[in-house]
Amino acid sequence: MEDVVLHYQPGSSAGLSSLLERTEKLLESFPRRIPPVFTPWSPTAADHHLPIRPAKPAPVITCSGDLHFSDSRTHPHTAQIQLQKSEVDGLVAKRLQDRPPAETPPQNTQEPKDAACISEAPNHLFPEREVTVLPLEKHKDGLAVTDSPVKRSWSIFTQKGGLLQSSPSLSKQFHHMVSVHRLHLHQRAKWVISQHNCGADRDMEQVWRTLSLSVRSSRLPTCNANIQRERAEIWVFCDVLHSEQVGRLLKAELQLSGRIGLSVHRLENIFTM
Amino acid sequence: MTTLTRQDLNFGQVVADILCEFLEVAIHLILYVREVYPSGIFQKRKKYNVPVQMSCHPELNQYIQDTLHCVKPLIEKNDAEKVVVVIMDKEHHPVERFVFEISQPPLLSISSDTLLSHVEQLLRAFILKISVCDAVLNNNPPGCSFTVLVHTRDAATRNMEKVQVIKDFPWIVADEQEVHMQEPRLIPLKTMTSDIVKMQLYVEERAQKT
Repeated sequence: MEDVVLHYQPGSSAGLSSLLERTEKLLESFPRRIPPVFTPWSPTAADHHLPIRPAKPAPVITCSGDLHFSDSRTHPHTAQIQLQKSEVDGLVAKRLQDRPPAETPPQNTQEPKDAACISEAPNHLFPEREVTVLPLEKHKDGLAVTDSPVKRSWSIFTQKGGLLQSSPSLSKQFHHMVSVHRLHLHQRAKWVISQHNCGADRDMEQVWRTLSLSVRSSRLPTCNANIQRERAEIWVFCDVLHSEQVGRLLKAELQLSGRIGLSVHRLENIFTM
Repeated sequence: MTTLTRQDLNFGQVVADILCEFLEVAIHLILYVREVYPSGIFQKRKKYNVPVQMSCHPELNQYIQDTLHCVKPLIEKNDAEKVVVVIMDKEHHPVERFVFEISQPPLLSISSDTLLSHVEQLLRAFILKISVCDAVLNNNPPGCSFTVLVHTRDAATRNMEKVQVIKDFPWIVADEQEVHMQEPRLIPLKTMTSDIVKMQLYVEERAQKT
């Protein structure tokens, strides 16, 4: 404590000793008490007892990132079921008929981006669970789905990787075409890849798989793509702004031969590369 | 406007139907937003006139359906106080708890508008809040799983037989470890008050997730 200087009038009746006594009392530290721990006066019933939960653990679903599904039991402690896409679709569709959880999707249903497998992780809290083998479903043509690879037909660019270039430079020819047709730069355009672009040694499915990977790994900006198997064509949709860049990437990454055509709604084919 | 008790028109069942339908959508969306499962298993759907993400994985869908099917009788009887979606790390310690606190009034003033549009709007607001809650939450560690806890108004053991409605889907009393969280951060998300149900949603988030 720092020194305290006391000023007083010498002629006071109380005298110096009483003044000092009073001052010392005033300088004493305030009494402190520790407040009791706060406990609510009206605890809810839930505070008295533990909640309940399902004994079964939730399924653990991991991503294989592979386009093909196959049965595999690799991990010694992990039993896995890998589901065929069409099998999943079939079961989901069946369940959707039985229940009303959400309204019908307003758009075309998009396929899962990644192969999914269920694994039952060992856990001391959650008891081990038997792996249920889902019943095999048949295609319309009668083939068992487990024997065929999953046929994705949609791939969508996820924005996660960001655009390659925020404003790609357009060639003079392309810029002229855009201004002639008065196209909006964010209008959707469609590149069409035909069988003859794939070359003799590759089929369209191989090209589609490579394309799907490119789209999903965000290498093709603003793109979504689908395969029209009955027409033997692959359609790659993108913004007009990026379409020239996408066209170049398509030709390079997919090693396409010949020319590919760009079309927009109502105008059909407007550009080839 | 009519005033009814809970017994009239089996109103508890109506409320349970509405809430379980909402909880199903909410659980799917939480699992998507908090990245408990790969985004590839989710599909965009429309519910309450807003886009939501629903799993298309049969095992997961069945698990959620079974869980809610068992919870429904508790909600119907107004025995469920909280339904909690707990996201746990690899060691099964909770990292996030999405707490749906439910309260149902003993007397119900209902009209057709109350049931349809107003409640739907309120539930839609919950869904919208969940869909953006990742902005206020920290990232979860990889390899998270989830479970659903139900806090009952009475002792859990008294409600055990009410939830055992599916033969192969038994329920147990949760472990202390799954319930208590160290140094939780409270994030209120949404509250609603309607004539048929009151509900509030908040998230308890563990301070140190890794």
